[in-house]
Amino acid sequence: MTFKKYCCVTCDLVYDEAEGWPDEGFSPGTKWDDIPDDWTCPECSASKSDFYLIA
Amino acid sequence: MSIVIIGAGHAGLTLAREIRANSKTTEITIISRDVIRGYYKPNLSKALSMNKTPDQLIMKSAETIAQDLNAKLLSNVTVVDIDSERKEVRGLFNDNGNDSEESRIMTIPYHSLVLATGASPIQLPIERDSRTELLSINNLEDYEVFRRGVEQKKKVLIIGAGFVGCELASDLISNGYDVDMVDLCEWPLQRSMPEVMGTEIKKAMTEQGVKWHLGKTLTSVTTNQHKVKVACLSDGTEIQTDAIVSAVGLVPNTRLASEAGVIVQRGIEVDGLSQTNQADIYALGDCVEYKGVTLPFIMPATYAAKALAKTLTGTETTLALPVLPVAVKISACSTVVCPSLDKKGIWEVQGAGMNLEAHFINEEGFMSGFALTGQCITRKNQLVAECLPVFY
Repeated sequence: MTFKKYCCVTCDLVYDEAEGWPDEGFSPGTKWDDIPDDWTCPECSASKSDFYLIA
Repeated sequence: MSIVIIGAGHAGLTLAREIRANSKTTEITIISRDVIRGYYKPNLSKALSMNKTPDQLIMKSAETIAQDLNAKLLSNVTVVDIDSERKEVRGLFNDNGNDSEESRIMTIPYHSLVLATGASPIQLPIERDSRTELLSINNLEDYEVFRRGVEQKKKVLIIGAGFVGCELASDLISNGYDVDMVDLCEWPLQRSMPEVMGTEIKKAMTEQGVKWHLGKTLTSVTTNQHKVKVACLSDGTEIQTDAIVSAVGLVPNTRLASEAGVIVQRGIEVDGLSQTNQADIYALGDCVEYKGVTLPFIMPATYAAKALAKTLTGTETTLALPVLPVAVKISACSTVVCPSLDKKGIWEVQGAGMNLEAHFINEEGFMSGFALTGQCITRKNQLVAECLPVFY
């Protein structure tokens, strides 16, 4: 299983699929595609589409 | 179509990015009196903990931004005035001591003008002599000055126990500094949380070593013969410190707007389309007010930038602001606040110890804001769904 990382264009926060985001209700291993489209960056509230693939 | 943006903070740069995402051909010019650099302003109050120097906070240089956005960037240019009839702005290259004023001046025409001039730190009337600096941190330049000022030093005094003051105190105390906090309020973050919650934060930060001087004001600061700053409080207490930072809030930068005939209250007055009373002049970010309220946060500026970019590229889009949760980076106590724009109401609190959930219930009986600490911060998304949207 390969995991990817996505970075927020506004605040540089990284979403790592391997780690998920437990505080946001996403368990480790949650794929980026499985995160709802209306989810927003927990740091700066940018939208999901403002994240770009980094690795 | 040519769009001129005055200001290269988060609002101005996000707007430029969104315009470019919607239109390949629109000409974009961004004017800033400072050197244009892309960085995330909230990081200024947590950079020590991120183990970053001011330079390392820069995410994008002017060159990268200009290239990525295919935009014209004018750094170090101060806009002198706006001619709303001829639709042009006059800018002046900052004085380098060599060039005459005539050679430094430039005229920039626009179809649409956007004011993203930001806000400036409120200066409290504190008595001080000319060699005693009172710092405030509202941009990267300010932060560079601050970091140089506290290098190899031990003690920092902060005036203001709001978002920025508390985050900065947390950053400093976690990185080996002694911190004194002065504010007239009774508990930290008083405007966004109830007393029981603020008291828990205060307690947690006290355990880290923060010394609180609440219910007091700073009346004067001087520098003694050992180059130590001496701060005098309203109750007569004297505190010795190496640096003093004021973090007592912001006042919108509105001079250019009002001189151009734009209606200004506390901030530049805009409608749901981010439009001012003047044709083709728009405004967003920390310099504006919506229905009498200023919202000097990242998120409203992001939303306004996205909506305005659509409007300016042909799809009229009214700003809709959802609720505004803000994570306050206090290492001793995880905190999320969502300030209510309705000022009248009551707090309802549940939970125990540091793990608290507080709902702000307005006069109509609806939750219009909330605050969460400790483990309760995981309730954020649930409460966002239950809370009244901000407007439109």
